[in-house]
Amino acid sequence: MSKLTKEQVYDAIKTVIDPEVGFNVVDMGLIYDVEIDDENNVHVKMTLSTRGCPLHQMMQQWVKEAVEKLPGVGEVTVEIVWDPPWNITMASEEVKKALGANLFK
Amino acid sequence: MFNVSKDFAPPFKLITPFFISGVVFYILSMLSALFYSAGFDFRELSVAGWVHLFLIGYVMMIIFGAMAQLVPVVLETGHFSIDWYYLIFPLLLIGTVLLVAGFWLNPILLSFGGILVLSSMIIFAVDVFLTIKKTSLNSLTVKAVKVSNIFLLIGILSGFLMALTLSGFMGVDIEEILKAHVFAVVGGYVLITIMGISLILLPMFGLAHGFNERAINLAFKFMIYSVALVFAGVFLKADIIKLVGYFLSFVSIVFYLYQIFLIYQKRVRREMDIWYKSMIFGYISLFVSLLLGFLYILSGGGANNFLYSSMWLLFVGFFAFLINGHLYKIVPFLVWFHRFSPLVGKRKVPMLNEMYPKKMAEFEFWFSFAGAVLSTLGLLVSNDELFRGGVYLLFMGALFLGFSLKWMLEFRSENE
Repeated sequence: MSKLTKEQVYDAIKTVIDPEVGFNVVDMGLIYDVEIDDENNVHVKMTLSTRGCPLHQMMQQWVKEAVEKLPGVGEVTVEIVWDPPWNITMASEEVKKALGANLFK
Repeated sequence: MFNVSKDFAPPFKLITPFFISGVVFYILSMLSALFYSAGFDFRELSVAGWVHLFLIGYVMMIIFGAMAQLVPVVLETGHFSIDWYYLIFPLLLIGTVLLVAGFWLNPILLSFGGILVLSSMIIFAVDVFLTIKKTSLNSLTVKAVKVSNIFLLIGILSGFLMALTLSGFMGVDIEEILKAHVFAVVGGYVLITIMGISLILLPMFGLAHGFNERAINLAFKFMIYSVALVFAGVFLKADIIKLVGYFLSFVSIVFYLYQIFLIYQKRVRREMDIWYKSMIFGYISLFVSLLLGFLYILSGGGANNFLYSSMWLLFVGFFAFLINGHLYKIVPFLVWFHRFSPLVGKRKVPMLNEMYPKKMAEFEFWFSFAGAVLSTLGLLVSNDELFRGGVYLLFMGALFLGFSLKWMLEFRSENE
């Protein structure tokens, strides 16, 4: 069994798009960390842009299902955390530019 | 960790009737407004009929539909009983029709319409209170939902007393109770609900974080004091208490507008979409309405044109733009959630911003914008032509809203 890499997991999660803003959750900066143990069990720590997001549980499920598609993956768990709270500086430059974010305001 | 699970989301077929009826009542409000002149008197029963058509048929109907969806989001728990909304809808629908017919055609219908509207609102409020009991959250929005529903019940009860009087079953001082009724419903329910919900929705759609919430807390407190003082003034027959109550409502709105400015400053999403434009015009309308209201108070209560143009702009400028602007966010989400969320990961699904008709929404915005400005000016200078011309444009805008809603509800992706 080949060991999964973080890059493979991040690439899989990149297929999950936030339908409101139209960007994938990795570029949005919503994925805080990915841990992979020796048995290829994956633990994803993520957040959401808003605490009251009505897609909360679905986003969690989509991330889980996206990672589960990787060959040789073990158990996948997705944890939603609120600390640190998400802010736009966590997003990629492409997302910032597309949203028109002015970070100096 | 909390979950706003898919199970908490109310069924599509339950919420859509609220939005469809709300928009139909909005179109009817604008159509019927064509039959009024700029020189109306707010004590006329036909004017009360129009106000109830707009506020209950349109504003309340859409707020109730939106709350079916938003209560679980705000309270982070499922409704006590979402099935009660199947009862709330027909009661509110028939109650509104009877109430408006009572004002326009035969006052005897007021009591029957009133009892149905009262029943629907009691059921709505009981569900909200029992749902609040399930949550440990105590955010400002939760408090706002709680307090606004208490005011709703008080406001509706005071309205019911007036309905019984107009139908000939009771004898209360309508002119005085009317002030308490208007403040409880418009200030205590509609404005406090908007304050609480906007604290969730504006940052969510504008991606605003890290703003200070002190101003909205003050706005919330001052509006509660305002409604309580107006009520106390009415029942104690003390004009000075009422006046302090009126003044505090102005202070509350100033703090609320300042909070909106703070959120606006912190937003990182800067697309000039239909939602954003509607919010900008809505909040400018609230500001101008506040100024006109202040001028009315300064006039010593003599210049009715200030009062009428202030209330009119509050209705067709602030409430309508805030509600209609959010329909372009909420309805696509509901359709997406219902029709496309099960397909995520299986095939390409549309983005939410592809799910509203851009051109029709623009027409709706610009017709309504021009209509709101012209009709308010018409009321301000008591010019019938200007007022009716503005209302005609508002009616055109309302028709475009109706077409847009139909388009959004019938949205299918090209893969289907």
